[in-house]
Amino acid sequence: MASKETINRDEFIKNDYEDPTVEKVLTKKDLNKMAWRSLLLQASFNYERMQGGGWTYSLLPGLKKIHKNKNDLRSAMLDHLQFFNTHPFLVTFIQGVILAMEENKERRDTIRGIKVAMMGPLGGIGDALFWLTLLPITAGIGASLAASGNIAGPLLFVIVFNIVHFALVFGLMHYGYNAGTKAVLSLKESTKKISRAASIVGLTVIGALVATYINFKFGIKIHAGSINVDLQKGVIDQIMPQLLPLLYTFFCYWMLKKGRSPLTLIGVTVVIGILGSLFKLF
Amino acid sequence: MLIQALLIGIWAGIAGIDLFNGLTHIHRPIFTGFVVGLILGDWQTGLIAGATLELVWAGMVPLAGAQPPNVVIGGIIGTAFAILAHQDPKIAVGVAVPFAVAVQSCITLLFTIYSPVMHKMDNYAVNGNTKGIDRLNYLGPIILFIFYFIISFLPIYFGADKAEVIVNALPKWLISGLSVAGGIMPAVGFAMLMKIMWKGSYAPFFAVGFILAAYLKMPILAVAILGVAVAAYDFFMGSGKSDDGDKVKVAPVNDDLEEDYSNGI
Repeated sequence: MASKETINRDEFIKNDYEDPTVEKVLTKKDLNKMAWRSLLLQASFNYERMQGGGWTYSLLPGLKKIHKNKNDLRSAMLDHLQFFNTHPFLVTFIQGVILAMEENKERRDTIRGIKVAMMGPLGGIGDALFWLTLLPITAGIGASLAASGNIAGPLLFVIVFNIVHFALVFGLMHYGYNAGTKAVLSLKESTKKISRAASIVGLTVIGALVATYINFKFGIKIHAGSINVDLQKGVIDQIMPQLLPLLYTFFCYWMLKKGRSPLTLIGVTVVIGILGSLFKLF
Repeated sequence: MLIQALLIGIWAGIAGIDLFNGLTHIHRPIFTGFVVGLILGDWQTGLIAGATLELVWAGMVPLAGAQPPNVVIGGIIGTAFAILAHQDPKIAVGVAVPFAVAVQSCITLLFTIYSPVMHKMDNYAVNGNTKGIDRLNYLGPIILFIFYFIISFLPIYFGADKAEVIVNALPKWLISGLSVAGGIMPAVGFAMLMKIMWKGSYAPFFAVGFILAAYLKMPILAVAILGVAVAAYDFFMGSGKSDDGDKVKVAPVNDDLEEDYSNGI
């Protein structure tokens, strides 16, 4: 890149504003526009600043409207272009709070501090709520329908998932903006309770998924004299149905805990499948 | 075949953008499997293959910045293979995963290459060029579209007819072995979820879910609703207060921007 020369941030980013007039300029329409733009939060994702570029991109219409002074706008843009990373479904909540602060012409270091303090916890909550709860549940239900050839499976999945998704993206933008800095306090109090509730639902469902969706049975019959015993139906099913899936899941869990990569486990699983069918175990 | 390969390429491009932008999750195998099935004229096989691949990728979500094998290419190539080579979707898993791993390393490379673009954005900010920042942000999805288009067009256009020949030449135990492995594979995904979420005090909830499904054969939705009820009871009784070792990291409140908050994405 031709633009490698480093910019002296201190020269441009000022804590106070040249034009400190406080004025409510953002309309509901502006907020919705920025919520739409937040869908491109990860468009310029990279390992140096992660979502920093997309974050600034989605805030731009608001920043332009709030900071009519050129130097103030430059200071705000450069400040926001730094490292940023959070969960894409919850980002609009941070945006709402930050926009309320920008409009109120809070000091830059305060805005930056709030932004950085919020992105970590929200990233963790988002992972627990969406990647580990909403997605497995909606996709699991959709897949169980689709597996039996029902066309409603994929459609139901996409519709239910996006009702939650877009309700959050737009709802949280307005909620964050209205709550302003007060929201930060209410978030801190319930962070742990929300993530605990999500984990309870998630693990209950994972327990059921393990029992339902892993297909791992013995196909071997034991010959004891003149008696034939079907190992799976005659023995294991009598003790605990789906014992093998349960044991194998915990084996994988243990391997992951020991620092093995998921790819190793995929390789191990393929080897087990091939060896098992070579010796006619399964 | 050219038209179908082109359509699948375009669909892969759209799904590839959705994986990082928009996030409507039309990129999940359950949906891409159905669409690929429609394009190839066998939506029923597409549905079933998509459902199988979806479960394999159940736990493979982007957690704490770690990138799992690429779900877009895995779902699309896996389904296309199952339909074109007339194979059981479970075998398609064995074909899809190595492909998806290779693609993901390319994506990692792309994220590395995109870092210098941020310095360009800095320059635009200094000059007050907001349109320039917009443009650089639009450039990312365009690159992704072209990348996914090529990656899925080529194997479908050139390898579709060969795929069946290759599979027929394979020994029986290998095919049935891959099928067995495909059936077990969801265990890896579930274990990945558990690695993040598991805590001794949550074990009873896992056990309840397992017992309801294994012994009582209850459907997943019923178990999920019961889980919500239990979680709501727990939430309102406030037992979350005594809970300290939560997995959710609460960031220290300070102004140090150099801290690594590798959550999200």
